[in-house]
Amino acid sequence: MPTAAISLRPSFRISSQLGLPALLVCVALVLPLFNAVFPPGHPLHLSLFVVNLVGQIMCFALLALALDFVWGLLGVLSLGHGIFFGIGGYVMGFHLLNSAYADTQVLPDFMQFMGWSTFPAALQPFAELPVAVLLGLMMAVLVGGVVGLAAFRSRINGVYFSIITQALTYALMLLLFNNDLGLGGNNGLTGFTLLAGFDLAHESTQVGLASLSAVVLAAVFFLLRWLALSSFGQAMVAVRDDEARLRFLGFRTDRIKLAAWCLSAAVAALAGMLYVPQVGIINPGIVSPMLSVEIAVWVAIGGRGTLIGAVLGAVILNCLKFWLSAEIPSAWPFVLAGITLLITVALQNGLWGGLQQLRALRATA
Amino acid sequence: MKSLFDRLRGSVRWRCWLQHVLIACLCAPVLQAQAAMPAQERLSIVVSICTDPGSYRSAMDRVVQVVVGTSPEDADWGKTFLERLQAVALICREQGGPVFKVEHGHVDAVTLEPVTDAVDELPMVPTLVLARLLKNSQAETELFSPDVLTRRAAAQRMSQAYAQINEPLVRLALSKAADAEVMETLELTLAKRSLASESADLRVGAIRAMGSAPSEGTRTLLKNYQEDRPDMGPGERAALTQSLSQINRVLWVGKAASIIFSGLSYAGVLLITALGLSIVFGLLGVINLAHGEFIMIGAYATFVVEKWLQAHAPGWFDAYVFLAIPFAFVVCALIGMVLEMTIIRHLYKRPLETLLATWAVSIALIKLVQILFGSQNVEFITPSFLQGGVQLYPALFVTWNRVFAIALALVIFAAAYALIRHTRFGLLIRATTQRRDTARALGIPAPSIDRMAFGLGSGLAGLAGVVLTQIASVNPSMGTSFVIDAFMVVVLGGAGSLVGTAVSSLVLGEVNQLIEPFYGAVAAKVAVLLLIVLIIQRRPQGLFALKTRG
Repeated sequence: MPTAAISLRPSFRISSQLGLPALLVCVALVLPLFNAVFPPGHPLHLSLFVVNLVGQIMCFALLALALDFVWGLLGVLSLGHGIFFGIGGYVMGFHLLNSAYADTQVLPDFMQFMGWSTFPAALQPFAELPVAVLLGLMMAVLVGGVVGLAAFRSRINGVYFSIITQALTYALMLLLFNNDLGLGGNNGLTGFTLLAGFDLAHESTQVGLASLSAVVLAAVFFLLRWLALSSFGQAMVAVRDDEARLRFLGFRTDRIKLAAWCLSAAVAALAGMLYVPQVGIINPGIVSPMLSVEIAVWVAIGGRGTLIGAVLGAVILNCLKFWLSAEIPSAWPFVLAGITLLITVALQNGLWGGLQQLRALRATA
Repeated sequence: MKSLFDRLRGSVRWRCWLQHVLIACLCAPVLQAQAAMPAQERLSIVVSICTDPGSYRSAMDRVVQVVVGTSPEDADWGKTFLERLQAVALICREQGGPVFKVEHGHVDAVTLEPVTDAVDELPMVPTLVLARLLKNSQAETELFSPDVLTRRAAAQRMSQAYAQINEPLVRLALSKAADAEVMETLELTLAKRSLASESADLRVGAIRAMGSAPSEGTRTLLKNYQEDRPDMGPGERAALTQSLSQINRVLWVGKAASIIFSGLSYAGVLLITALGLSIVFGLLGVINLAHGEFIMIGAYATFVVEKWLQAHAPGWFDAYVFLAIPFAFVVCALIGMVLEMTIIRHLYKRPLETLLATWAVSIALIKLVQILFGSQNVEFITPSFLQGGVQLYPALFVTWNRVFAIALALVIFAAAYALIRHTRFGLLIRATTQRRDTARALGIPAPSIDRMAFGLGSGLAGLAGVVLTQIASVNPSMGTSFVIDAFMVVVLGGAGSLVGTAVSSLVLGEVNQLIEPFYGAVAAKVAVLLLIVLIIQRRPQGLFALKTRG
């Protein structure tokens, strides 16, 4: 597919990018190996804390990947990906509440505070894990579809779209903070015990989840990259670069955008579903406008439109965040602000783009 | 601008003055009786408490009148008297005048001079009747306390003991009350008193009177009365029905007016927060996510001015709001211009990048203010002329701080509008926005115009901060909640159109407050958002789209 290579950035040449999925699969294998094989105290032993952290970062990378797919390739900056992440997270929370209730026969605390005596019927459809996952993806696609349909049909784009999605995130957060909604309000959902019959408190379950996250990330990366290189991906890039021209040529650009947008929403929901059992809680903070902007910052720092840059940005920023928040908590906002400013002002294409430029320079020299 | 503020303050002074005259008139009959009270009078009060249980009531009334009277010495004496009596420290002696027991020895009950001769009698223990009277009298004096919470508690006590109150005194307190809650409680107290009367004529009169003085309280009272007395006469029943329908009608109007007013005040807040954003977003095309932080900085600048005045010129303390206006504007404008010079300048062609960059600036600013001032809410002392409010109509209580916010929003809007439409600077801004290249070809220094426009937008955000100190809680992360609402206003109004900003903040403010009382704040926010999305479907560029040629 030589034509694809022409219209996409050089970073999309096929040969250059098979490395990341391979690396991720390695991570997926290394985690249980180093955690289980080497005993605690051994220098190569990975503690549960580290494994858990790696798992969380994989979820964030997945989220960044979802955003880069629509921002980098389609030119649609969403400041509302937290909505889909939150939908996935809450649906997984519903499922875990179901299994916890089936396990312990004790109603979750917040339901007792609400004065409920039985498990609410509205949450019972989420009792089976495959059904719950399917429902979560469908809900994310549905919400994304409605938002996307309203926005793309009336040609709301650019910053207007960003602002509207940010406001939607804010509205959803306020809604979830509401105790009367019956979703735990401020405290969110917690008290999970079992996932698909595995004990969540057990170390091996958490290691398994972290490995699963890495594998899912690799698979999704592979899928999205394949899509980006297909004719659909070409159409997306064309929409990004000159939507009006594509429309005049007879393409239904709103459908292209809607399809990509819904897929991105589903990926973000998947990230939320993997994230919740690993942290053991889901609360409205996950849909704060703050987090949604932060996702965009990861992508921008890594380099947008490259997919691999999104993963890179999410991993680097989150590693830095976990490390700095533990070491010097008050410095983190300044460091984040500094990096963001530096990248936006000086290094437009992000770290990965910078690397590409460097490589190109060296090739010409 | 200055003359307008002077006028504003003039009207405030005028209000106080009117209050004083009113009080003086109403007090006159009560106060005349005890101007410069002779010692004889004090003695007769104390003696009647000591000797004659039948005159407790009148004696207590006289004491209360002394306490709320004009003479400070007499008031002090009255307070001491009540306090000593409650503390079981009044000693009525057979020989010599009555004395108060104090910490070390005794003092004369009339002059409060120390008494040297030995006192061996026991203090008087108030009877149950006297104790109840004492409590009421204490509450009656507290109706005039400077502390509003004390006044509210005292008014509640009056309402409980409505049968025993001193009516002229309660009327006096009512005329002086500046607090809506106190006023309503006292009005109710008087109404209850008449309703409980034996004479049917008096009751009908009270019902009629309540019909013409409608409030939430009188409505409940009359409804309860209707339920409690199924056997009332036809005349009374007719009066009751008439009064109730009258009250319902008036309250409905008042409630509607109150919703419209709160919508107006919310619109004022929206307008003032969105104005700067409209300039920055509309004219420069910059998505300034740090706009909320400029609002926050404006609020903290006000805080600095407040603290400075408190320390260095306490006499001018009330003026801090006005002093803070130029200060906050200048501080925010300077920070904005520095920001433009260092960062925004490089991003003019890339709006999505300005979004990320200004977000980065905003988190850094929040953290910085957190480190400098702490992350908890900052307390502001409301200037005396903004405290309280006025009952314009039943169920429509207008607080001065809201009026201040609306007025200041209008003034600032008018100033910004005049600046953009009628000054040379405004002309240059518009020229640069509409046809940048032509403007530059004509010698307009576009980059420095950009900088000043950005400074103007930031400064306006600072002014919003000044206003918000009076009506919202101030903390380092206050900006985040305002910036999203402000963006909604700008998106709906049409970027760059000041009139559009005003209209859309009015619409959003009213719609929000119309929904909020019935369905809650979150539903109102969501409904407003949906409304915007719907309108944008029809008019993607907002209600008042600016026609530019890029």
